[in-house]
Amino acid sequence: MLRIAHLVDDQSAGGVTRYLSFISGTPGMAALARHQIVPVSRTRPASVHVKADLIVSHLAITWRGLPGLIALRARHAGTPLVHVEHSYSEGFTAANVPARARFFTLLRCSYALFDRIVAVSEGQGDWLTRRGLVQPDALTVIRPTVDLSGFRALPAPEGRLRHFGAIGRFDRQKGFDLLIQAFRDVPGDDLRLTLYGDGPERTRLEALAAGDVRIQFAGFAPDPVRAMRQCDVIAMPSRWEPFGIAASEARAARRPLLVSGVDGLADHVRLGAIRVNDPSVEGWTAALQRLAGAQMPTSLPPRRIEEQATIAGWRNLLGDLLAGGDPIALQQERA
Amino acid sequence: MPHIIASTAPRVSIVVPSYNVEATLEETLTALLAQTFQDLEVLVIDDGSSDRTAEIARSVPDRRLRLIRQKNRGLAGARNTGIFHARGTFIGFCDADDLWRPEKLAAHVHHLDSAPAVGISFSGSELIDTDSEPTGLSQQPRLTGITAAHVFKRNPIGNGSSPVIRRAALDAIAFRPEGETARDWWFDESFRQSEDIECWLRLALTTDWEIEGVPGLLTRYRVAPGGLSAGIDLQFAFWERMVEKLTPIAPEFFAREAPAARAYQLRYLARRAISAGNAPEAVARARASLAASLRPLVEEPAKTVTTLTATAVLATAGAGMIQRAMALVGRRAG
Repeated sequence: MLRIAHLVDDQSAGGVTRYLSFISGTPGMAALARHQIVPVSRTRPASVHVKADLIVSHLAITWRGLPGLIALRARHAGTPLVHVEHSYSEGFTAANVPARARFFTLLRCSYALFDRIVAVSEGQGDWLTRRGLVQPDALTVIRPTVDLSGFRALPAPEGRLRHFGAIGRFDRQKGFDLLIQAFRDVPGDDLRLTLYGDGPERTRLEALAAGDVRIQFAGFAPDPVRAMRQCDVIAMPSRWEPFGIAASEARAARRPLLVSGVDGLADHVRLGAIRVNDPSVEGWTAALQRLAGAQMPTSLPPRRIEEQATIAGWRNLLGDLLAGGDPIALQQERA
Repeated sequence: MPHIIASTAPRVSIVVPSYNVEATLEETLTALLAQTFQDLEVLVIDDGSSDRTAEIARSVPDRRLRLIRQKNRGLAGARNTGIFHARGTFIGFCDADDLWRPEKLAAHVHHLDSAPAVGISFSGSELIDTDSEPTGLSQQPRLTGITAAHVFKRNPIGNGSSPVIRRAALDAIAFRPEGETARDWWFDESFRQSEDIECWLRLALTTDWEIEGVPGLLTRYRVAPGGLSAGIDLQFAFWERMVEKLTPIAPEFFAREAPAARAYQLRYLARRAISAGNAPEAVARARASLAASLRPLVEEPAKTVTTLTATAVLATAGAGMIQRAMALVGRRAG
């Protein structure tokens, strides 16, 4: 059986870790290969002994980490290397990188060490090729996912939409500050906004919400399905979001979903989310107001099995890299 | 619309927002149609003029010209209508009283073709008077390594007739506000001033398109004599509204950069008051600039000291002295 080593340097409870649980714990993924999750140091990923037919990096690319990636390539010269880009996107660059030419040089140098770069969304993939960071034939888009069955099992919201929710880490990436400011300007005593999460922005968010009793902080939600159940509408005003698994969860739970549309959130717009393309507070206020108190639509788009798409993406990638583009040959080889 | 649209789209569209510009429009259109790079269309947006603007546009015998008329929406609204109708991959802007050097468009097309990460290509400007004669002043901004902070503090793009913008970069910042049913906005039409800087800064803060200049004073930017001292309050109010609007988009950026940017803006307003010979206004703005931040003094000591000196001279010796003093110490404007 094929052996795939997934190198990770981030053990936090973020989207990457949850995606890796899906990769290593889903029967459909297990049918493709034996997946081994290998925690490594970001700067010395080659120092861990790995024996695999394919090595997949889920590492964050940095200048400090570049020598380690070169060592990884050298040590596994005959093994296909794949990098999944979980961190960077156009929105990330806009919000965090004043010196873009230098940053793009880092990405080009690092990506050149891999046989294939996996983008986590069409939006991110478009950016990688538009900026010349990855050659189109070295790019594959595989949207990550988690087990969404719990979200699909939730009843859809009923009646009038009154309870807005935002679920995620309290980091400026998520744009919850903007959401709070926008919500404050939406009239309606019966409306509520609940923020589920915790993080470095907490004090600032609480200060922004002070005085508006409709806004509540529910703390970190260890069970996101339960948090989702309490909300009628989910808002994701993210400043950057390479993919945004939380958006998949909201769609699976049939919650109307407002997104900023950056990066991977553009994919979710194509899959049914509502784009708020005016990034100002006024733009978000108008978008919230349009949904506030509105009747939940009775007919909803059909449910989607996104997990299958992710598994199919990996199957095709393995066929490309290990069996000359033939997924059937891959299966025979395995048998 | 009395024009014939060519079957294939031109590479470049030049948008000319035009409101009651019968005195200058013909000269502007002549300069644009005489560009050495010829694969272009010129879109004259008659923004509800009550003079002969439309008539003049119609009288120009060039099939690359299109006239689009609308009820008055202001400068941003005229530009947006132009963008909406533009068919080019690149879109240039030229106000109906400014002029382009014949080689300007060729330089920007070459720049945008060879630098695919650049979204806005701009140039320096020569300042001209009502007779289209050089005033001896110019805008020679920084051309490369431009960050959002540079845009905010010094607006290197300089004026609304300087940039040629990649369509894809404009599409990245398109939005449609509540109540707008006709088309998207790129420039925010609720701004009557600072609509340029609001657009450039929004692009710099929310996309990764680069803003970069090409060498040469390729734009000829017309300045009214005396300046408009009366508009200074309004101009500053819109500038502050721009800060207020964009701060929630990038709060850390504004916390870090707004004091210095405000000091630069006030220094600019002080210089305008000096040009207009308005001593009390100049003194007030110069003082406010120093109170906002001392970074202009550190980052641009010569220009800041000149401004402060000129303010002092104006306040004590009068306007005649200023004209001579400014002629001696500086050839740049802005």
